[in-house]
Amino acid sequence: MSDELSAASALVTELVGDSAGEWDRAGRIPVELVRRLGAEGLLCAEVPARFGGRGWSSLDNGAFTAHVGSLCSSLRSLMTSQGMAAWAVQRFGSAAQRAHHLARLTGGELVGIGFSEPGAGSDLSAMSTTIRVDGDTVVVDGAKVWLTGAGYADLLVVVGRFGDGAAAVVVPTDAAGVSISPVPDPLGCRAAGHSTVGLRDVRLPLDALLSGAGQPMSMLVTTALTYGRVSVAWGCVGILRACLTAATRHAATRTQSGKPLAGHQLVAGHLADLLVAEQVATRVCEHASRCWDDSSPEMVTAAVLAKHVSATNAARQASTAVQVLASAGAEDGHVVARAYRDAKLMEIIEGSNEICRLVLAEHALAVAS
Amino acid sequence: MTTSTPQHTNSEIEQHVLRFIEQHTKKSWDVDTDLFASGAVSSMFALQLVMALEKTFDISVAGDDLKLDNFRTVTAMVALVRRLRDEDSGE
Repeated sequence: MSDELSAASALVTELVGDSAGEWDRAGRIPVELVRRLGAEGLLCAEVPARFGGRGWSSLDNGAFTAHVGSLCSSLRSLMTSQGMAAWAVQRFGSAAQRAHHLARLTGGELVGIGFSEPGAGSDLSAMSTTIRVDGDTVVVDGAKVWLTGAGYADLLVVVGRFGDGAAAVVVPTDAAGVSISPVPDPLGCRAAGHSTVGLRDVRLPLDALLSGAGQPMSMLVTTALTYGRVSVAWGCVGILRACLTAATRHAATRTQSGKPLAGHQLVAGHLADLLVAEQVATRVCEHASRCWDDSSPEMVTAAVLAKHVSATNAARQASTAVQVLASAGAEDGHVVARAYRDAKLMEIIEGSNEICRLVLAEHALAVAS
Repeated sequence: MTTSTPQHTNSEIEQHVLRFIEQHTKKSWDVDTDLFASGAVSSMFALQLVMALEKTFDISVAGDDLKLDNFRTVTAMVALVRRLRDEDSGE
């Protein structure tokens, strides 16, 4: 497995090259590159081999996700979406749906997954998109905002109300009634294809409705988001590694007042903080992935903890890295400038800092009181 | 799927499930109490329950079986585990 992981990491390093800054400024990654990684099964590498996937553990996929995240958070965001959608299909789909869709998701087709709506962000129970069965079709009506990867996707997994509960439906982006408009100038992850998606009387064959329909909304959302949280957390480890590398290289070589920046104690302190943050985030992510690989019930809260620790550390330390590089990094497209903007979004996505803290407080009351 | 886990009796399954819930909620439960109506059980906990059942009894709860009714009471969970294990051994 480690050979396979190294080969995959080398492939991504080669494909990304020095283009991440340009993609950030252009707001677009060449779609054929994303498809290539999809066809290699690398956008959702945990899909089991029996469905055509790589069958990687969460720990291996985490290491890979951090590597991609250190190069380009937009590309890493597309991985998170593809992985979350694949996980939702694996979890909620019937045997036939799993076989059908997972082969597509590991064969080069691209997918996004939609939760957030104009009136439903942190409170996803306020979702108003509806999914209903009408004879031999399933009908979807509603709107999704900030749907990651929708600007590239062939398919969308759309979560909505279904009777008293919730359901997820697989919607081809070329179906009648689907409209996709890119978020014009996102603060971060600018090339991740974030879009507003309109769904107007979208009619699909019944088998587009994933078989776990009717479960409670909170259950469905928590299940899908748990994968996303682990993935985002590892992506933040990547951001921290990129910042650590950029800051130490700069501090070791740039001279001011007759000595390298690293010889100035206040700057050296920043380097120590960056290292601590990168190490802490790595350890907490490893813990979440081990819980996932062991199918431990603890994984639900471990994922929230990992996401929260990694995102807050990435946001704080990306700011530190910009401080260390100063004018050398204060330019759009620069690795630390991207990190600074991308990391801030990671404090919002897949459970904001505030939501994470509420969940963790609830967990603390349950286990420690 | 083949499994090396021993065959659990219904009362053993019930004991496992009750112990897990009681550890996490710090209170005792009747096997027929609606866990979700009580307000003591969150969606995070519901997912933990699914994970715990899968791991302890070597089953996979996916698709249709994820509906809340299967997790509403300890009795319902015992029936779910029983059915999934029987289906598994029948394959």
